[in-house]
Formats: sequence, structure tokens, C-alpha cells
Amino acid sequence: MNSFSLRSLCATLLLTVALLPNLRSNDLDSTKDALESTLNRLLDVLHTNHSTAPYSVKKDQIIGILNRQFSFDVIIQRSLGRNWNKLNDSQKEQVYTLITDLVLQSYTQELQDGPRPDLTFYKPKVITSSKIEIESIVLLDESKVNISYRLANIKDRGWQVYDVLVEGISMVSNYRKQFDEHFLKKSASELIDILKTKLQEAQS
Amino acid sequence: MKYLIRSGIPFAIIAMWALCSKTAAEDFVDLDDLLEMDELLDDDGTLARGGSAAIADPLKGLNQAIFRFNDAAYRNIFQPFTRQYVRVIPKEARKGIVNFFNNLEYPVRLTGSLLQFRFDRASQETGKFFINTTAGMAGFMNTAQEFKGLQPPREDIGQAYGAWGFKHGFYFVLPFLGPTSLRDFVGRIGGSYVDPISEPWTQVDDSTDRLTLTAVDTVNDLPEIIDVYNSITGSAIAPYTAVRDGYAQLRATQVAE
Repeated sequence: MNSFSLRSLCATLLLTVALLPNLRSNDLDSTKDALESTLNRLLDVLHTNHSTAPYSVKKDQIIGILNRQFSFDVIIQRSLGRNWNKLNDSQKEQVYTLITDLVLQSYTQELQDGPRPDLTFYKPKVITSSKIEIESIVLLDESKVNISYRLANIKDRGWQVYDVLVEGISMVSNYRKQFDEHFLKKSASELIDILKTKLQEAQS
Repeated sequence: MKYLIRSGIPFAIIAMWALCSKTAAEDFVDLDDLLEMDELLDDDGTLARGGSAAIADPLKGLNQAIFRFNDAAYRNIFQPFTRQYVRVIPKEARKGIVNFFNNLEYPVRLTGSLLQFRFDRASQETGKFFINTTAGMAGFMNTAQEFKGLQPPREDIGQAYGAWGFKHGFYFVLPFLGPTSLRDFVGRIGGSYVDPISEPWTQVDDSTDRLTLTAVDTVNDLPEIIDVYNSITGSAIAPYTAVRDGYAQLRATQVAE
């Protein structure tokens, strides 16, 4: 009886220790699967019903799909960096909406033009204990574009995209440089004007 | 003793569960921490995968003037021209021309790989060149794309300088050609020495033929260049800065790969 209990105790401990990395690995794999599913659903919207319809028509649907795994508030606030504090509450809200629309309008337009691209996702790479990077390849007309998604395991939100890298170019970092440059000489209200003009140009 | 062992089993399970829960809890990042203004600069080690993407811009005034000139040329001359070009020349023909000139650039990529002592990539490039030149009908077809082991990343001499530890020097914008840096420009000149079309070691004797080949290559590449340019600047609030930083990040990533 003693030796049986001892063996049970050892087996329990070993099993638990052995399962720990698997739990972690399964968690990351399911995060990758969820991201893949989110982006395929986005392509479904862009390439099926009324595929030529502009972004403004599909906006709510697109944002609804992406919001599950993309924390736009984090992406935008990190892009603005310390400049975020130069905006008042009303400006923050306007900038948030305008940038979200501008970026989604531009990128969904590219994904929508031409045939539906093929997406391939690779195993997540661990950056830190709470951050991972998922690399993917978008294959369109034999042209390959490397797109990587950086995700953080945010408290109360789960794994969320906080940066996107296209061919190694970080979107957040690129926008941060632009906003830093803008706020050297220009104001928050001028930023809003520029964003409105850009959005109109993108929609025309 | 028996009691101790029996009570030890549930204790061990509870202890391990507690350990699991603790590990999981520590794996979360607090939203406020993620929004910390400067966290971007240190948390992930680097902004771009390739390390610091900083680039000095002492000629900013001149660069911005050339950037505006290029922007006007792209929008008013090249973009309307490429629309017509794409309409007239079938996609397959354009792809074939791209493949042909890519294949001819093999010596530049090979030199870039060898200068970095990347013999694995050099052999992949050689295999790719051999297959595309023979089975791919002088390079018009990218037959090697069917082979997973023959897909090396593009290398050039500027990247090799970067791998040796040379920084950019400074950023500048070339009329019509766009962004570069002192390091990459020197690399480009180095590349022309092994390029089979351009001077001084050209394999094409007739200067008119050389000019024609260069013109065909440039014109055929224009639609893709214009697409990339529009993609970067279309959603940019400061297009000059977006292109400069995009260039710096891209080159940093290519050097690090």
C-alpha cells in the first residue's frame, strides 16, 4: 500500500510537470488558430457578398471581426506614444476613430483588390512570457508578403494583437515616428484635419 | 507514514495547481503597462526585428525637396503610364520579364551572400539560377519556386556591409529612384560591378542594347514600385517620415535575417 501510494504520488507529480509545457503550447497554438480564423473571416467578408462594396459599407462587419483579436486602442495609443497626452478627450476619440478607419480602409482595400489571397500561418514565437509573434505569408498572384502579428496576453482580454509588421516594418513604430514628427511643429487639431483629408482621399 | 503519503497526494495536486495558476497569472500583461509610453522602446528588445532602425538625416531639407519631386513624378507621370502599361501588357508577360531580370541579378545576390559567408544561401542561389536558366527557359519562368530548399532571402552588397557592422552613414533620396543611404548606395555601386548588364563589366557589348534592357527592366518594375509607394504613403500622415522609417526598418530586418 505504501509503495503504491508513493508511486501514485510520483506519477501525479510527473504527469503534472509533463503537462505544463503542453498546456502552454496548446494555448499558443489555439491563439494562432484563432488569429487565422479571424483573418479568414475578414477575407470572407471582403471576397464574398458584395465584394466590390467600399469599406464604409462593410465597416461595422470588419471592425466587429477584428475587434475580437486586435486591440485598436492599444495599437493607436502606442503609436502616438507620449503625444497621446497632448490630445483632449474629444480629440482622443476623434483620432481613435479616424486612424482606425484610415488604416482599415487602406489595408482592406489592398486585400480586396484582385483574387482572394492565400494565408499561411507559422508556429508562434515566444517574445516574453506574455508576448508572442505569429508570422504569416500572404500569397497573392505569386507575390509573397511577410506579415507578422505581435500579440500580448492582456489581463481581462486574452491574447490581443498590439502591432503588425509588414516585411519587418512595425506599423506602431512607423506611425510613432510620424506622430513625433508631426507634433514637433503642428497641433492636435491639425492632426485631425490631416487624418480627415487622408480618409477622404482614400475613399475617393 | 501511510497517512502522510495519502494526504500528500491531494496536497501535491493542489500545490501543482497553485503553481500552474501562478504561472498563468504571471503570463498576463497589465493593460496600463502595455500602454506605457516608452515601453515600445525596450520591452521587445527592438522595434524592428533587425535591431535599431535609426537613420541619420542631415540632408533632410534637400531630401524632402527631392521626395516632393519624386512624389509629383510618381503621381503625374509614372502612375498614369503604369496604368496603361498594365492594361496593354498581359500579366503573364510582365511576370516573365520580372523573372528574367531577377535571374540576371543572380551574381549580385551571390556576391551579397558570399560577402556574408552565407555559403548555404550562395548554393541555394546557384541552384535556383541553374534551374531557372535551363528548365525555366532562360529565366522567364521561375521554375525553382517549386523547390522549398531554393528560396533564399534576397541578399545584396549593402546588406553585406550591414552584416559586417557598417551603419547607414546617412539617409538620402535619389531623384526618381527613391530612398537609400550612403552604405547602401556604395553597395549599389559595388553591385553594378557584378551585374551582367550595367557598366563597367557588362556582358552586353552594344550600348543601345544595354539601354534598352535597363529601360525594359525599369518600366516593368514600375507598377510594383508604384503599388508599394501608394501602400506606404496612402495611410501616412507624414509620408516623407513614413518612407524614411520604412526604409530603415526594412533594411535593418534584411541585414538581421
